[in-house]
Amino acid sequence: MLNRNREPLIFESSVVGKVGMDLPHLDVPEARDTRPEHLRRGPFQALPSVSEVEVIRHFTRLSHDNYGVDDGIYPLGSCTMKHNPRLNERVASLPAFAESHPLSAQEDVQGNLAALFMLQEWLKEITGLAAVTLQPSAGASGELTGVMLIRAHHVAQGASRRVILTPDSAHGTNPATAAMAGYEVVEVPSAPDGTISFEDVVDHTGKHHPGLISLVETLGAEIAGAMITNPNTLGVFEHRIQEVADLLHGIGALLYMDGANMNALVGVARPGDFGVDVMHLNLHKTFSTPHGGGGPGAGPVACTAQLEPFLPRPVVVRDGSGYRMDWDRRQSIGKVHGFFGNFGIAIRALTYCLSHGGDGLRAATLRAIVNANYLRRRLEGTYHLPIQSPTLHEVVFNDALLSSAGVHTLDVAKGLIDRGFHPPTIYFPLIVPGALMIEPTESESKAELDAFVAALEDIARQAQSDPEALHRAPVRAPLRRMDETTAARKPVLRWTGFRPQ
Amino acid sequence: MRYLPLAPSEDRALLDVIGVDRAEDLLKSIPEALRLNRGLELPPHASELDVLRTMEGLAGANRPFRSRFLGAGAYSHYIPAAVDHLASRQEWFTSYTPYQPEISQGTLQAIFEYQTMICDLTGLEVTNASMYDGATAAAEAALMGLRLNRHRGTVLASEGLHPHTLEVIRTFLAPREGLALVEVSLKDGLTDPEDLRAKLSEDVACVLVGYPNFLGCVEDLQALAEPIHAAGALLVSVTQEALAFGWLEAPGHVGADLAAGEAMSFGNRTSFGGPFLGFLAARDSGKREMPGRLIGQTHDADGRPGCVLTLASREQHIRRERATSNICSNQALIALRANIFLQLAGPEGLRGLAEQNAAKAQYLREKLLDSGCFEPLWEAPFFNEFALRCQGDVEALQHACREAGFQPGLDLGPYGWDGAVLWCATELNTREDMDRLAEVLGALPC
Repeated sequence: MLNRNREPLIFESSVVGKVGMDLPHLDVPEARDTRPEHLRRGPFQALPSVSEVEVIRHFTRLSHDNYGVDDGIYPLGSCTMKHNPRLNERVASLPAFAESHPLSAQEDVQGNLAALFMLQEWLKEITGLAAVTLQPSAGASGELTGVMLIRAHHVAQGASRRVILTPDSAHGTNPATAAMAGYEVVEVPSAPDGTISFEDVVDHTGKHHPGLISLVETLGAEIAGAMITNPNTLGVFEHRIQEVADLLHGIGALLYMDGANMNALVGVARPGDFGVDVMHLNLHKTFSTPHGGGGPGAGPVACTAQLEPFLPRPVVVRDGSGYRMDWDRRQSIGKVHGFFGNFGIAIRALTYCLSHGGDGLRAATLRAIVNANYLRRRLEGTYHLPIQSPTLHEVVFNDALLSSAGVHTLDVAKGLIDRGFHPPTIYFPLIVPGALMIEPTESESKAELDAFVAALEDIARQAQSDPEALHRAPVRAPLRRMDETTAARKPVLRWTGFRPQ
Repeated sequence: MRYLPLAPSEDRALLDVIGVDRAEDLLKSIPEALRLNRGLELPPHASELDVLRTMEGLAGANRPFRSRFLGAGAYSHYIPAAVDHLASRQEWFTSYTPYQPEISQGTLQAIFEYQTMICDLTGLEVTNASMYDGATAAAEAALMGLRLNRHRGTVLASEGLHPHTLEVIRTFLAPREGLALVEVSLKDGLTDPEDLRAKLSEDVACVLVGYPNFLGCVEDLQALAEPIHAAGALLVSVTQEALAFGWLEAPGHVGADLAAGEAMSFGNRTSFGGPFLGFLAARDSGKREMPGRLIGQTHDADGRPGCVLTLASREQHIRRERATSNICSNQALIALRANIFLQLAGPEGLRGLAEQNAAKAQYLREKLLDSGCFEPLWEAPFFNEFALRCQGDVEALQHACREAGFQPGLDLGPYGWDGAVLWCATELNTREDMDRLAEVLGALPC
């Protein structure tokens, strides 16, 4: 749909007297004013006075400026969006689920408890771990929960350990999480094949970085655990993961797996089978729940029986008469959400699981890996592949073959926008300069993949023939490149155009 | 499998280009011993109709109610039809975090408008793109209070916070060495000013107070702010029912330095407690200590106005272990629904709806007292929720309510107020339902 002009802020359309919501008939006496005078609500400055028509048009026009996964491939490596099935939306909006209250009597919400229990059972089988909590609200919330479980385990052992190891290829949430959980972060370097380096590494500046073996030797019992993404952010399976686990377990430390890339392993390999003690899953990635422009997600945590006593409370359990919330968990780390997490997201994920079944989940994993390797093969040579190791669900290229023409990763991303595609994740992982991290998922057809390849090939050609055009891109989007420097230097974080009252 | 674009001939073409015989050949980088050498022990894939039947079967095991009088952190309100319709547009719900601003202006502008309205409601100057829920927003507010008051290590929290919120704050603070969480007791349903004064010290970074509190009572923030500010601490208001902002003065205008809380009431369903909508607002001077995504206005290369993610140097993907928080995914779609709701309501609608909620709660309280089953606990002002002492057996009373099709108020016994019940009324509760509820209770041997 063509937009006339940029949609103005709704506040600019506000005219006193217009309403977008008529109040229901009041069938009781009006409220007596019991408020202390100074606590009576004063005037609003920004809330707009607009009609329903204007609100509907406003959000419809604004929506035209968004790219969604229904528009096409959304190849954001490690964040990727797969197809969001509509059945999931229908099920989550069934009134019996959507209108249920979290503090209902347990016998009144047996359906909810059964659904949560069922999803936990699916996730246990998928991860090969003994217990699952659905309470964390997103991946980062799951990470925090998982690291708190590790901490609780050590505290129960009477040990105070201060260090969490994270690879240099880790998502930023890993070190941020470890710090939130009170730990010091020590980085483990990557080996040339992109996996965790067991040996020490000397970087190109001559700086020496102790590898995993040295760190374990020198820090020993100071290490509480390690947070490792597998497959890692290069799409490479950490093939020595079992050895990592053994090394850690040998010094009493635990292994946390960041499950952001679990969509490469579902039905193919199980973290519980290769030494992982605790991990999170991103329901908004691996299990197809929509990302809604930034959330809500859900970040269930799976762990071994050893860590189960520390799970956030309550825990959904099944006993003779049905399902119940078990609050009596003396060793629990406490609560990480006001209620039980993003229940509506769990319902969508369960629906996805039931639709796929065990066979479909494995088929989806294989297809995601095939799609990523197809893109890798088609684009190799046109774009530089800095790490040659075999990859699973995603592949990381960079701009090394284009930089002599003065074209960089950002230009490639903006060039894709002009060709109608959402760009991949850029400049991450940090260990690959100018990274273009591409993850197609299983949702893309051969035709969509071929069109995406054609667009990237066209950009590579244009980099040589007309690099300036790429520097100007995008020119076909609702806006051109944004001045992010000014945004950060002089932050305008709300509209303040209201008239003083 | 309907979600996979699989055709044997195309699969063959993909595999041929890659140069492998079978998809399984691409798994060789996973050591064989670590691979799952069996199928998942899970049921096979199923049609849409079959899955729907299974899920409807589960939903059918929940008990329906004709009217609900339960709030306590999750509120049932009317949701205008436009909210569901607009939020189900794929451009909103299937998009990712707006990393590429040129093709994400819809999400970015919507969040900018949302930020503006949350600032208006709270009377503060900066808020983020949303937090997971009210409880985690309060916990992040406590951590932010500690960052803003850097050399202090104690957080005071009123016992009038939602017990779940208190537990989340405790969980978040527990791993940090040298930090203490101390509770301030209640007197007559409100934070006890004497206990507060006794516990304020030079080590207190911030004080969290419910507004209204868990028991529905309206705390006088202005009176509490005085000793808190005199002690150099920050006042954090925690609001579990954001519709109260249509009835009560903005916390930022009566002494709050930070405002946290839960805004699910704006256009969202109770959904068994999530997804909900946490908010956290602060004064402008606190913006660099704010956790989470912030959207700012700027312009493009042609000078046209637009929005971007900004002040990212606070965040985990840049600052890593020194970030203000690890949060990245938030509750954007829930915030969008709140945004649509607030634009529809406007100032008149929000105020009017809040007044109706107050009226309904006052009516319900009178009817319950008239039923003879209850007596007042205190006389503190309230918004749409209030606690009463039950004269009889709470369990029997709740059973009778449920049998009559009413979801009763919350039994406060397990939370430390034996014999007390927390009732809530909103615009959804009709006079007829409230009269009928009182009749049912009146017939009990209280």
